[in-house]
Amino acid sequence: MIGLLTLESPMSLDLYRELRASLATGEPRVLATVADTRGSTPRKAGAQMLLRPDGTFSGTIGGGCGEAEVWQEAMETMADGQPRTVLVDLTEPVDGDDKICGGVMRVFVERIG
Amino acid sequence: MPDAVPSSTAAIVEAIEAALAGGPPVVVATVVTGGAGDLPAGAKMLVRDDGRTLGSLGSTEADETIREVAVAAFTAVPRIVTATWRLDGRAATDRPSQAAEGATEVMVQLFEAPARLVIVGAGHVGLALAKIAELLGYETTVVDDRPEFANRERFPMAQQVIVDAVGPALDALTLDASTGVVLVSRGHRVDEEALRHAVGRGAGYVGMIGSRRRTRTVLDHLAAEGFPAEALEAVSTPVGLDIGAETPEEIAVSILAEITMLRRGGTGMRMSRNRTSGAG
Repeated sequence: MIGLLTLESPMSLDLYRELRASLATGEPRVLATVADTRGSTPRKAGAQMLLRPDGTFSGTIGGGCGEAEVWQEAMETMADGQPRTVLVDLTEPVDGDDKICGGVMRVFVERIG
Repeated sequence: MPDAVPSSTAAIVEAIEAALAGGPPVVVATVVTGGAGDLPAGAKMLVRDDGRTLGSLGSTEADETIREVAVAAFTAVPRIVTATWRLDGRAATDRPSQAAEGATEVMVQLFEAPARLVIVGAGHVGLALAKIAELLGYETTVVDDRPEFANRERFPMAQQVIVDAVGPALDALTLDASTGVVLVSRGHRVDEEALRHAVGRGAGYVGMIGSRRRTRTVLDHLAAEGFPAEALEAVSTPVGLDIGAETPEEIAVSILAEITMLRRGGTGMRMSRNRTSGAG
């Protein structure tokens, strides 16, 4: 019986406002979306990040956890227009420290505009 | 050079924006991996709840398969926001283990406005609910016929404060699947009256505070008045999860924990019950 919906933060509305505006002006954006996750990840499937040509972005797919890797790939997609799927593995310890996020997520990166 | 933006992309982005801003919800499917079907990665199709579509994933077979998946997503319980489906001809699965080798992967996302919480009763519990609901990202509406309780000073976090009798106030609100209604008024008579105007209206959640006995009496009254048994059965009353809540704030946590559990498809069980053996 229950059909209550998942929260979309106001940030996600802002993100689509920006995307629509950029499409209207012809300026490209790269949209990164968490497609699926396994284990403990900071954001769940559906989280999105919007990257601008100058490398700045809005939205988050997980803060420090894997975002830099995705940013790098997103800049590639900005340059060549090719969609990419980025596997972010947060289970590997870095410099002997355990990462605080312990899962794996796949992030789909696409250029829009 | 990358391909030009398909004309449907702009329309799809516009529809997503409208959905997030409170318009009709939409499902958008995106090809993640072309796979054996050789669909173009990034191809998009929008699906509305009546099954109308916009754009294409690159094959009529994939479009039709995903259209069925998308239509089901509008009413799925628990609500699934984003899932990746693997296609094999007309077969589709959202479980990776069942996917055929080289399957086409399509990400299916539901876009809709933020969840809303209608709080009937601006007393201690109503106030605690509004505070915690804000923290959780809900848009809240507070209803009470007492202006000394239902006012902006007391509820600065609410999107809407309505000073009116509960019946007319609820009748004027649109209650949809993304709306929860919690009845925590000053007395069970008011709650009962509010329930008459909340039950069977399409709200995703209706909860009413009260003891087992009192709430049973209210449900019996409404059943005798001819309210459908199924709708009354779905009312969360007594309300909340059993966490031993005593204070208004704890009761609010209990209620919002129940709503969260239902929305996210949780069990209400302690996480530690699932602990892997041997872990520190």
